[in-house]
Amino acid sequence: MPPMSITGYNALVLAGFVSALSLMLAPAATAQTLTLTIAPSTITFISADPDTTPSIAAPSITVSYRVRNNASGSWQISLLASGDLTAGSATIPITNVTWTASPTPPFQAGTLSRTLALALASGTGNVQNTTTGTVVFRLANSWTYNVGNYSTSVVFTLTAP
Amino acid sequence: MTPARVLVLVTAIVALATTQGLGAATATSNVTVSVTVAATAKLALSSSTVTFANADPDTSPSITATEGAITITAKGKTSTGASIALTILAADDLKSGTDTIAIANVTWTASGTGFAAGTMNKTTAQTVGSWTSSGSRTGTQSYALANSWNYPTGSYTSTATYTLTAP
Repeated sequence: MPPMSITGYNALVLAGFVSALSLMLAPAATAQTLTLTIAPSTITFISADPDTTPSIAAPSITVSYRVRNNASGSWQISLLASGDLTAGSATIPITNVTWTASPTPPFQAGTLSRTLALALASGTGNVQNTTTGTVVFRLANSWTYNVGNYSTSVVFTLTAP
Repeated sequence: MTPARVLVLVTAIVALATTQGLGAATATSNVTVSVTVAATAKLALSSSTVTFANADPDTSPSITATEGAITITAKGKTSTGASIALTILAADDLKSGTDTIAIANVTWTASGTGFAAGTMNKTTAQTVGSWTSSGSRTGTQSYALANSWNYPTGSYTSTATYTLTAP
């Protein structure tokens, strides 16, 4: 067998191979593992007399969440409406919908927006076990609402930056 | 490209692909929000009686109601662009035993957006107000009786029914 010799070019190839191999063998950086579940997935505000029911409460929503591999990072659950409540050409501004939530903290109350994702809950570190919170949405009732079946959607987003 | 270079390149790509990035992790869930707004009408009057005091027809050819102006609040929910109407219909003429005063002698003036003046009628409902789309409207209605020497003495009464319609 002829003696092996490493030329300058071969040394470069070998170095590249070793570097790539070391990347493969190095422990992969672990991303946060987030779980978010909302139930029920549909809520309805029932029509009511604005004089006797100035604020219509929808059935409560249970938010279940879990945050792992986030030892020192922060996390947040935010809400963003996809738009105003619409029924054909009729609209009810989504800002007429507010929410209360518990427990506080990490949950907090707020007003829905279709342009800004607003914090529903926030914290730091891991939430090892699935944890729940309760959210109740309320619609400010008004005689100015025109008859119709309005709808929109609200996106709950759990983020661990 | 030599096989060796290809091997290095492929290996590097695979290595990078198996290393997770450290960007923000997210999880999302949607909730559908629905609102049912049903047709509703609600009417409130500040007084349920209207009284005309006896007066000299020469000095008081028109007798205004003792109660003054009645405040009317008409609230209604209807479809976008649909009409809401407030009407009044007298049950009969003013009667005192067998004596009568024609109900058409009772008129009213009105104030407030959408409210209209009119004359009482016992056969056809008369418009007191009309509006477009949902809302709460407030106005006043001031009744007057055309006085006359022809009215026999007596205590006359009648009733009238207001109807607020929000289709």
